[in-house]
Amino acid sequence: MRETRLWSLHILVIPIIAVLLGMHFALMHYAPVFYDVSVDEAREFSTMIERGKSMTQFVVYTLLLIAGLYHGLYGLRGILRELPLTPTLVKVVDIGILIFGLMIFALGMYVTWWTFNAPLGG
Amino acid sequence: MADTKQITFRVRRFDPDTDSAPHWDSYTLNVPDGMTVLEALHQIKAEKEPTLAWRSSCRMGVCGSCGMFINDLPMLACQTQVLHLNADAVTVAPLPNYPNVKDLVPNLEPLIEKHAAIKPFIIHPNSKEVDEPTGEFIQSAEEREAFSQFTYCIKCGLCLSACPTVATDPLFLGPQALAQAYRYTADNRDCGLKERLVALDAFHGPYQCHMAGACSQACPKGVDPAFGIQLLKRTLVLDSIGFGNKPKHVAKVMPLADVVKQIEEFAPPPRTVK
Repeated sequence: MRETRLWSLHILVIPIIAVLLGMHFALMHYAPVFYDVSVDEAREFSTMIERGKSMTQFVVYTLLLIAGLYHGLYGLRGILRELPLTPTLVKVVDIGILIFGLMIFALGMYVTWWTFNAPLGG
Repeated sequence: MADTKQITFRVRRFDPDTDSAPHWDSYTLNVPDGMTVLEALHQIKAEKEPTLAWRSSCRMGVCGSCGMFINDLPMLACQTQVLHLNADAVTVAPLPNYPNVKDLVPNLEPLIEKHAAIKPFIIHPNSKEVDEPTGEFIQSAEEREAFSQFTYCIKCGLCLSACPTVATDPLFLGPQALAQAYRYTADNRDCGLKERLVALDAFHGPYQCHMAGACSQACPKGVDPAFGIQLLKRTLVLDSIGFGNKPKHVAKVMPLADVVKQIEEFAPPPRTVK
């Protein structure tokens, strides 16, 4: 993909991250309100796992993971490629960041999927 | 006689034949009101240091040869009056972000190479008409206004030396070349965006601009290259999603007979004084 598309995508995910991050903060801070539990209960592992089983949470965190990873790693690539690199190192940076991103995505998806499918009560 | 003020000039000196590193020399002059930094350098060369080297030509801010780093800002020496700097000491160094040839002479090759990379000329699909014109390409005042300010660039290179991104990423095309890329792309006679994409749609193209805006502040001709880069980004994004096709709107040719007719129509009134 050429730079214009990569850059456009990195700009395009900014409003998506803003909305999803807002939802994340709302889910975290207002969990007692949304799930009708006490503040202490909202912090318990079992309650957290229960929250993770909702489809909304699964979708929000999957999208946030994709958008955040792309935006962050595109920025990291920009910082690294501003260094005086040889053409070989440029390829190493590009491929390295892609592999690193896929690894973090796999880990994030594993956690999100595990939480979504975890037996009730953890 | 006009009032004068004693000013100390700290000039960075470097002779690649004899020096291993640059050093600073100081010269004191009585500076009258209106004297430019370029005139001060001429006086230093005439009276104190005949080996001092710099590049200059027109003395009136047109040729863009005398770009220098004056009191830590890139400026044209011929356009900068010493007393307007409001300082008792004036430092003069070669433009940063360029290799140094000698004393105050920068090597402007990076500027020229980047400028050439964006193909700074009209690329028209009708090459026969360009080579053997049968008329004039039609361009309205509004169409010209779309890129007019960017035509004032004198290639002095001050914007590149002010740019913090060029300082860290020497491969970045820089404000001059990118603003010129927009200048030609926005021209309704031009159809060369696809040919320029090799240079523009790349990592070191417009997306490396950190929007510091130092280029626009440094430009001695009032061009706003930072704005040109943003307009170029918009052009490239629209092109990437299929909204950048211009061939339909590319300038039509007005036959020479019509051009002559129009010239006659707008001819000046007859002379009243013989």
